[in-house]
Amino acid sequence: MSETVSTADLVSWIRAFRDAVQQHKDELTRLDSEIGDADHGSNMARGLDAVVAKLDPAPAGAGDLFKTVGMTLVSSVGGASGPLYGTFFLRMGPALSVDEVDATTLGAALRAGVEGVVARGKAELGDKTMVDALSPALDAWDAAVADGSDAAGAARAAAEAAARGRDATEPLVARKGRASYLGERSAGHLDPGATSATLLIEALRDTLADAA
Amino acid sequence: MIGLVAVSHSRVLAEAAVELALQMGGENPPTVRVAAGGPDGDLGTDAVAIAAAIDEADSGDGVLVLMDLGSAILSAETALEFVAAPERVRLSPAPFVEGLVAAVVTAAGGADLATVATECATAADAKRRQLGTDGDTGVSASGAERGETDASFEAVVTNPSGLHARPAATFVKTASRYDADVRIVDLDTGSDEISGRSLLALMALGIRRGSRVRVSATGPEAQTALAELRTLIEDGFGER
Repeated sequence: MSETVSTADLVSWIRAFRDAVQQHKDELTRLDSEIGDADHGSNMARGLDAVVAKLDPAPAGAGDLFKTVGMTLVSSVGGASGPLYGTFFLRMGPALSVDEVDATTLGAALRAGVEGVVARGKAELGDKTMVDALSPALDAWDAAVADGSDAAGAARAAAEAAARGRDATEPLVARKGRASYLGERSAGHLDPGATSATLLIEALRDTLADAA
Repeated sequence: MIGLVAVSHSRVLAEAAVELALQMGGENPPTVRVAAGGPDGDLGTDAVAIAAAIDEADSGDGVLVLMDLGSAILSAETALEFVAAPERVRLSPAPFVEGLVAAVVTAAGGADLATVATECATAADAKRRQLGTDGDTGVSASGAERGETDASFEAVVTNPSGLHARPAATFVKTASRYDADVRIVDLDTGSDEISGRSLLALMALGIRRGSRVRVSATGPEAQTALAELRTLIEDGFGER
C-alpha cells in the first residue's frame, strides 16, 4: 500500500467528487427543496463541471491544484456552497505545497479547509450544515493516523464518520443558511450540505483505495 | 468620493435598486457597481465578480458593499480575499434598498467611508420609526437646550409632500458640503433635533407641508451653510 498521496491521486479525488455529485444531483436538489432553495445539486454539479474543465492539463502541484479548484468554485457555483466549498479548497492548498503528501499532511490540509468553512459560515457542530459531516470526519482521520493508519485507512474511517454525521442532521433544527428561516420545520430532513460533504469524503476514500 | 457595490442574487433586483438610489444622488453621484446573478444569469452570487466590481468602484477613497442575503454575504466576504485593497472595503449590515439609498446620498455629499458606513448601518431605523414600532419616538431635548448653537433660522416647509425623499436628500447633500454641524428640528411636532447630514434621520422626522422647522449650525462655515439651506427651504427645493 502506498504511503504517499500523489497530485494525480488528488486530481482523481476531485474528478470522483464531480462524478458523485452528478450521480446524486437530483437527490441533493430534492433535499434542498425540502428545506432550502432547491438548487444545491444543480449548483454543485455546475461548479464541479467548471472545475473539471480546468484540470486538463492538471496543475503541476497540489497547491496550484486546490487554488484552481477553489477559485473556480467561488465563481461558478452560484449559491452559498460556492464560497463555502471554495474556501475549503483555497485553505487546503497552502497546507499541501510540500514535496510529499502523506496521511498527516493531508489530514492537516483537510483541517485547514474545514476551519476555513467554519470561519466563513460561522457554523458550529449541530447547526445542521456541512460542518456536521466534515468535523467528525476530521476527528476520525486524526484518530486513525494516530493509530498508525495510512491515508487510505484514514479516509475509510473519515468517510464512515462523515456518513454518521450526515445521518445525525436529520432531526436537527437548522440554525444557518436558508433552512434556518424554516425553524422547527427544518427538522426531519437530511441536510443537503452535510450530504454533499459526505460525498466529498467518500470520493477521497474510493480514490485512495483505488490508488493503493 | 467613496464607491459603492450592490451585491444581489438577482441582476434585475440590483439594477432597479441602484436606479432608485441614484435618483437621489444628484448631479455628482458616487460610482456604483453591480455584482449580481449566478454564472448562467440565474439567481446566485459570484465572489470573483464581486471582487472585480469592488476594485472598479475604488477610486482610492474606499468602497462600501451592500448585499441582499445568504450567499451574497458569504460571497462578499470571500471576495475580500481577492481585492487589491481589502483594508479600504466595508461590508454593510444595512437592508439592501434602504442601505443603498442612504449610501448614495451620504457618499454624494462627500462623506468618508466610515461616515457612510455608520449612516447606512442605521438604515432600518427610519422605517421602524415611521411605522411607530420603535417605542422611542417621544419628545426629547430641543435644539435650544443644547446651548452651543452659533446660528439658526426658522422657516416653514412649503413642499406639497413635505420634506419627502428628494428634498430631504437635497438638504442632506447641501448640509454635508460645509464644514459645519448642521441640525434640524420640527418645531410643530416637537421632534428630536437630528443631524442635517443624516438622510434617514431626516426622513424619519416625516416633516409635513406647513411645518415650521429650526435649522441650526455650528462650525467655521455655519453661516454660509444656513444661508443656502434657508434659500432651499424657502424656495420649496425648486418644486414649486
